[in-house]
Amino acid sequence: MRAPNAAPLLAVDNLSVDFGEGSPKALSGVSFELRRDEVLGIVGETGAGKSVLARSLLDLLPEGGRIVEGDIRLDGASVLGLSETEQGKLRGARIALIGTNAKALLDPVATVGAQIARVLRAHRACGRREAWAAAVDLLAQVGIVNPERRAKAYPHELSGGMAQRVVIAMAMVANPDIVLADDATLGLDATIQVQVLDLLVKRCRELGAGVVLITHDLGIIAHYCDRVAIMKGGRIFELGEVGRFLEGPRDDYSRTLLDAARVRPTPMAGQGEGGGVTDEAHAKPLLDVRRLEKFFPIAGSTEVVRAIDDVSFSVGRGETLALVGESGSGKTTVGQCLVRLLECDGGGITFDGVDITDMPAKEFRPLRRRLQMVFQEPYVALNPRWPVRALIAEPLRLDPGLDAKGREHRVRQLLDLVHLPLSLAEAYPHELTAGEQKRIGIARALATGPDFVVFDEPTTALDIRVRAQIIDLVRDLQAEIGMSALFITHDLNSVRSLAHNVAVMRHGKIVEYGETEAIFAHPTQDYTRMLLSAELPIEQGLLQRDRAEARRLAGTA
Amino acid sequence: MTVAVRLAGFWGTVPRPLKIVVSRLFMLVPQLFGVMMVTFLLVRLLPGDPALLLLGNMATPDTIAAFRERLGLDLPIWDQFLRYVWNALHGDLGTSIFTSQPVVSDLLERAPATLELITYAMALTILIGVTLAIVSVVRPGGAVDIGSRIYGLAAGAIPDFWIGLLLIYFFFYMLGWAAAPFGRIDTFVTPPPAVTGFYTLDSLIAGNPQAFFSSVGRLVLPVLTLAIVNAGALMKMTKTVFADVYRSDFIRHARASGLPERTIRRIALRNCLPPIITLVGFMVGFLLGAAVLVETIFSWGGLGQYAVQAVVNSDYPALQGFVLVAATFILVVYTVVDILYELADPRIRV
Amino acid sequence: MRATFTRYLSRHPGAVIGLVLLGLQVIAILFAPWLTSYSPVEADPLASLEPPSLAHWFGTDVSGMDIYARVIYATRINLLISLTAVAVAFVIGVPVGLLIGFYRGGLSSLVMRVFDFIQSFPIFVLGMALVSVMGQEIWNVSIVLAVLFIPMFARVIRAEVLSLRERPFVAAARCSGATDFSIMFRHILPNALTPAIVQISISVGLAILLTAGLSFVGAGVRMPTPEWGLMVSSGAQQMILGVWWVSLFPGLAIVIAVLSFALIGDMAKDLSDPTTRDRR
Repeated sequence: MRAPNAAPLLAVDNLSVDFGEGSPKALSGVSFELRRDEVLGIVGETGAGKSVLARSLLDLLPEGGRIVEGDIRLDGASVLGLSETEQGKLRGARIALIGTNAKALLDPVATVGAQIARVLRAHRACGRREAWAAAVDLLAQVGIVNPERRAKAYPHELSGGMAQRVVIAMAMVANPDIVLADDATLGLDATIQVQVLDLLVKRCRELGAGVVLITHDLGIIAHYCDRVAIMKGGRIFELGEVGRFLEGPRDDYSRTLLDAARVRPTPMAGQGEGGGVTDEAHAKPLLDVRRLEKFFPIAGSTEVVRAIDDVSFSVGRGETLALVGESGSGKTTVGQCLVRLLECDGGGITFDGVDITDMPAKEFRPLRRRLQMVFQEPYVALNPRWPVRALIAEPLRLDPGLDAKGREHRVRQLLDLVHLPLSLAEAYPHELTAGEQKRIGIARALATGPDFVVFDEPTTALDIRVRAQIIDLVRDLQAEIGMSALFITHDLNSVRSLAHNVAVMRHGKIVEYGETEAIFAHPTQDYTRMLLSAELPIEQGLLQRDRAEARRLAGTA
Repeated sequence: MTVAVRLAGFWGTVPRPLKIVVSRLFMLVPQLFGVMMVTFLLVRLLPGDPALLLLGNMATPDTIAAFRERLGLDLPIWDQFLRYVWNALHGDLGTSIFTSQPVVSDLLERAPATLELITYAMALTILIGVTLAIVSVVRPGGAVDIGSRIYGLAAGAIPDFWIGLLLIYFFFYMLGWAAAPFGRIDTFVTPPPAVTGFYTLDSLIAGNPQAFFSSVGRLVLPVLTLAIVNAGALMKMTKTVFADVYRSDFIRHARASGLPERTIRRIALRNCLPPIITLVGFMVGFLLGAAVLVETIFSWGGLGQYAVQAVVNSDYPALQGFVLVAATFILVVYTVVDILYELADPRIRV
Repeated sequence: MRATFTRYLSRHPGAVIGLVLLGLQVIAILFAPWLTSYSPVEADPLASLEPPSLAHWFGTDVSGMDIYARVIYATRINLLISLTAVAVAFVIGVPVGLLIGFYRGGLSSLVMRVFDFIQSFPIFVLGMALVSVMGQEIWNVSIVLAVLFIPMFARVIRAEVLSLRERPFVAAARCSGATDFSIMFRHILPNALTPAIVQISISVGLAILLTAGLSFVGAGVRMPTPEWGLMVSSGAQQMILGVWWVSLFPGLAIVIAVLSFALIGDMAKDLSDPTTRDRR
């Protein structure tokens, strides 16, 4: 389709980076080429060296980092050994970087217009007013409505998606040849992620720039990239056309990654212990939520935010319900109301036939044994001063029948249950990996053998393989213990693998509710359709990519 | 209700800076009230008859009776407090036992000396503290970084009165470079007519170079004493703040966007401005306390020395007046600091 | 634990210096009578203002008292005043800060207002006024300093508690059945203590400096009590005349004392936090 240019735009040749003599190499022998008008995806897990690679291309390695071997050539000319001033002329002008968490990338005390103008004036001689006009123009180009007003806004007044657009505008200021996007959409809602990536790729195609898309999401690779490089431990393991890669990776590690990213079949309702439950028990749900309401007051106003607005659902024994929605839809608030971390303002919650809505905290405490929660961010949900042993033992105090010895025994059982070695019992949370922390969180929730567990975003911000392991772990537990669960997530992929039923939430209301298969196959609501279309499953990647490409091309025409 | 709604609506249209200033000034009122309560209770802590203590041992039964009447000492404590507030608001803080002058006029006479000392000391403190902090963050591991670390540790441990004495010993006694540590201006030089109360400024206004150089010379050692000790603390705190900003994501992003280092440093400094403003506000409080000690050493004749005299002579009206003035001054400084902070940080909601 | 400690010391020379300096003070406190044959309060008008010599290592002051003996004995007075003040402030301030941070309500904000008022006074000025009003006794200095420091500890702890109580691990603990008491004392307090420990070392240093400063201006303990600030003050007049030893040595003692607590505070901060304990 696109004619390959003779000299590659960017050539990285046998690049090695380390942090001081004798330290392990952060990059070893990395080689790849980037052509004009090409999107190269670089995928890998935490610690694979993706960000180090991006920053070494800009000669902005973290403190102590140095290039020990290899070369980086831009249009055939080496950029290594350039002076700081010459590098400065390269950065932002020829190579632009778009990083993660756009809100943190913007100067909090300057207006976004001023920030774009600042970058513009660093690369082009122009007056203040001219630069401001150009900044407003750029904001319009990245799809920001009412750019004149938005240019005067401070970063804290923007949403995450809008901030990311501003960062893209900053990157596009000097019409760069190469755009490095380092996990640029991490933490954004799926629908926003698609919009931002669409915009980014479209703008780069228009400019004919080469794009390096660094991500840990194979879905993004499948949908946006021409070629893909798989990285691990500072090396590129496989490099090739995306289509061929998706059909069958050559390398073992790449295959593991791809397998891990695939959807597992929907679990059967009432597996394991739950299999023997009679219809009658099914008819009486374990958890029943009726017309739940929760309002938050807005500071300095008499109005309220309706975080939960008339929400009803029920979960039977051995069943899993997924509550999906974008950030701010109120799904986490629902979870917090269920375990009484928040008091609801209306409606009722019935657990196993007992109304727990207004139960005094003292009376509710024994019930916590049966009603547990796994918290979203694994690290911050663990007390940093406590060793793993104490963390897992804490909920066991709810069981008056257990003495110190019994708790000790149970801690070992639980570590085993979540597939963690006993040697971790004395470790502190900061010494664990994200996956291990998540498992500790799960072990804590399962410690008392609960009937019902709320999982708050169990797969967010995890690496591909760890995410798959957690999903498999939860599936096993569902099958073995037959517990009921409420799954709060925006990761639709994991919903397919874990939930029997789905409730789609938006603005505090449930807009669609039904069986997982049915909803994924035939969504009835526009909002659900939009959520589903923003999902980037690798299975349909190639097909959708061509369609999206056509859409983007149509958009430019 | 409608009035409240209309007021709320009007408040919404007020520009942000004005909103900040007005709401801060409004908060000053209860704070001042609290300060007066503390100074009032201070003297009530004394064992014995307040009238006797506040009048000193020269009191006759007649003066005591008149005094009790004026302060309302037979009334309930709440009424006494209200009288104290009433008198204070009308510029009556009692009469100094030691100088036999109204405390207010004593304080007014001495305030410029202290203010001049603190102002220059603050300026030098900021200059040294902020510069060292920035250089040591921008060039980590450099000579300035290591030197400033040792300095920071030492400055926190050195008593200001002691370093003042050492400076006098070296620069006055040994080397003879510095002016004598006796007051704000040489005895044979006539002080310039008071306009601002600052000898340095007034002598310039009066076009009197002799008075100017004399007063500057006298300022050197006390200002240096205050700055050496306090710049260390300001440096340490500024360093923490500046290092955080300098290593933050948005500075890294600015660098990746190709902004020149000079611009980047300016951006980082601008971001540190709100916390630095707060730190400087606290430093003024420290300096006022430290001035008490330093004024004593240099016979400065300011508020600090007045306070020490009051303590030594058990001059309670003077002491009470000084504490009230000092606390009010600090409150005003904090209010200004809060206002500047909110003006400098657009994230603060008003 | 001991291995961790030795490893820490080998990497932090500052901590070693701090411990050595603290050791010197402990020796001075415990063995003062054996370290000098002079009395710290006995005047000898015939030996006024003698420069340092073999007989008087640090020289003598105006009234002929041996400065070395006074510096050594003053360690007891100065550290007694400072450590008592900080201990009292810690014991009262920490629980108060914990309670007003954890339970937000009218009483909590009232307590905070009171602290605001106390802290809106320049600390040295208020200290001077309070001691002068209460009477210039050793214990009064201690009490006044404690009163001035209580708001500092309470504030530091409260600020920590306010942010800690919103952290997910507190919610997680609640889900695991932790009671208010357990959340406050087993979850929040250990995490809030690091800044309080830093505050201890800052406060002890500040207390030593304030005690000395108060005596220096004549608002603290009175002669002939051996106290560092008082000793510096007794030499202040002579400094202009070139008599340096009267003020120099007690001042150095103050520097050593404050420095040792600052260095040990840094160490305690690192060691009290498992996330920094083993870091290089």
